[in-house]
Amino acid sequence: MSSRARILLVGLGASAALLLSGCAAAAPPAPTPTIPPVLNASYPVTVDNCGTSLTVTSAPERVVTIKSSATEMLLALGLADRIVGSAFLDGPLPSNLADTGANLNVMSDFLPGQEAILGLAPDFIYGGWESNFSADGVGERAALADLSIGSYVSPAACKGDAMPDPLTFDTVFSEITEAGDIFGVVPEADALVTSLTDDLAALEPVTTDKRTALWYSSGTDTPYVGAGIGSPDMIMQAAGLTNIFHDVHDTWTPVGWESIIEANPDVIVLVDATWNTAADKIANLESSAATQGLDAVVNKRYIILPFASTEAGIRNVEAAASTIDQLAGLSK
Amino acid sequence: MTGRGYAIWFGAAVLALLLACAVAVTIGPAEVSLTHVVGSFAQRLGLSFGEAVPPLIDSIVWQLRLPRVLTAAFVGAGLALSGAVMQSVTRNPLADPYLLGLSSGASLGAVCVVILGVSFALPAAAFLGALLALFATLSIARVGGTITPARAVLSGLAIAQLAAAGTSFIIFWAAKGDSYREILNWLLGSVAGSTWQSVIISGTALLVVGIGIVLSATRLDAFAFGDTSAASLGINVNATRWALLGSVALLTGAMVAVSGSIGFVGLILPHVVRGLSGPGHRRLLPLVIVCGALFLVIADTLARTVFDPRELPVGIITAFIGVPVFILLIKRKRSAVWG
Repeated sequence: MSSRARILLVGLGASAALLLSGCAAAAPPAPTPTIPPVLNASYPVTVDNCGTSLTVTSAPERVVTIKSSATEMLLALGLADRIVGSAFLDGPLPSNLADTGANLNVMSDFLPGQEAILGLAPDFIYGGWESNFSADGVGERAALADLSIGSYVSPAACKGDAMPDPLTFDTVFSEITEAGDIFGVVPEADALVTSLTDDLAALEPVTTDKRTALWYSSGTDTPYVGAGIGSPDMIMQAAGLTNIFHDVHDTWTPVGWESIIEANPDVIVLVDATWNTAADKIANLESSAATQGLDAVVNKRYIILPFASTEAGIRNVEAAASTIDQLAGLSK
Repeated sequence: MTGRGYAIWFGAAVLALLLACAVAVTIGPAEVSLTHVVGSFAQRLGLSFGEAVPPLIDSIVWQLRLPRVLTAAFVGAGLALSGAVMQSVTRNPLADPYLLGLSSGASLGAVCVVILGVSFALPAAAFLGALLALFATLSIARVGGTITPARAVLSGLAIAQLAAAGTSFIIFWAAKGDSYREILNWLLGSVAGSTWQSVIISGTALLVVGIGIVLSATRLDAFAFGDTSAASLGINVNATRWALLGSVALLTGAMVAVSGSIGFVGLILPHVVRGLSGPGHRRLLPLVIVCGALFLVIADTLARTVFDPRELPVGIITAFIGVPVFILLIKRKRSAVWG
């Protein structure tokens, strides 16, 4: 027998053994919840989530979170111990959540498949995007429901009829309240909403000098930019900026450079993601003959925001505040 | 057709191309007045024309629209010429760089350079990809018999799918986040990112390879009557065939390096033009070049203006126009192609 065939057989044997032991042990044991028993929620909780009716009969104990927005939501609600796995994170955790999230089981930088998820024996999956719940992703929602696994999509990311039009901070905050109901942490959710509402009210948007802005998300040949009804426009408005593509009825949209040059925005908001850094975008803007003459590029009027703070979620107020701070520091 | 009739058609096509380029440079999502467009050109040529053009308007005209229009023209011309040559050399009315897998092979080569950072000049890698794809397609088509048009197209289809999968895999593997948009640009084709560098690459390839091919028009005529008659006219059939196909791979590689794989230009333009010029290559080739350029300039202008300020990859437009023509073609040439 060749050595390759032998390795294959050994591998098969090992997999079979794993499979058998897996069957015998059923699911891995749940970690002992350190959160006090849920007293403050009234179950069952029923919500309409992106057009799917979701009924939760008791607080989910083994949760998988997909994307930063969902992960940070649960961490901010003090639910770190109920997260059994996280994946597809968009960047590092913010400093105020770094400690609570230090022991996250990060499964993958990409969207994991159904088996990887089911292997963690979750009772609930919280996704940042509706598209996370596909057959080649973590599984379709109906199929998960058949396995008694609840699923929830950040309502700001609903598509179709349920798409927020436009997205507002009220929608973002109502997700926090809804999460509080679902996970049985109503007081924590209320406190978070109150604190974020206060922070939002305390913002002092730029008013003196009305500034037009481009929200440059990614792309080089055909830039992908913030349009009129999603979180980019919501954050820019809160900071007192006027989105040059406010009239495009979409969340994000591909546009031609020509439209950007014609609008000649006062500032450019750059989203900083590991897969598409703000530095790359600046290099592109400054090296391209077509864009290096833009006012914002000539005067280096750039606002840089971490990607994870720009998708609808608990960090949008922080993103708006950071925008205002950075605007104050820009040269005229 | 008489020489005079052809001259009129050719003149009309050249005029139409110049007109289309002029119009394309003056329209777009941004409103730029004709005065400013003319002023921008005049300024660059060292002439003064009315008031000074604002620098940003100047850069819209000179750094975005003009390189893009010229790239579209060169790529359209190059792809149409490649299609015409491939159809003659392989005596296959369905041959074109896209259907026989050359465009996809070139895309794969280009993406290897762009994403994986393989140190190889972009057009050279695209050329290599096109050449390998052509070689693979013809080898598969030849397995177990002579190369019929249908076999060549089916082999091309397989190679194109393989190369497209390779391209998608590399982008998917190497990049993160929204890289699928880049995959779309390479697979569907787009001249959105054209710079003066794209103009130089596509223009040089068209000039150098194009002249070489046009000068071989007589040899291409000989191929039309079959290998035996070509050989009886004193042509080294194999050497000439590979030289011509190699030139096509070079031309396609350069075009794909700047635009991704744009389909159907190389397939339909030669057929349409043959209806005007007749089958003789000395008339066919120049007219194919001009009409290919005209077609892609118009298609790309639609791609960037119809959904203003959004943009479509131009390959979507050429497919929308090309596929119905392709169907007509199959219907008309059924006996010749599939028989």
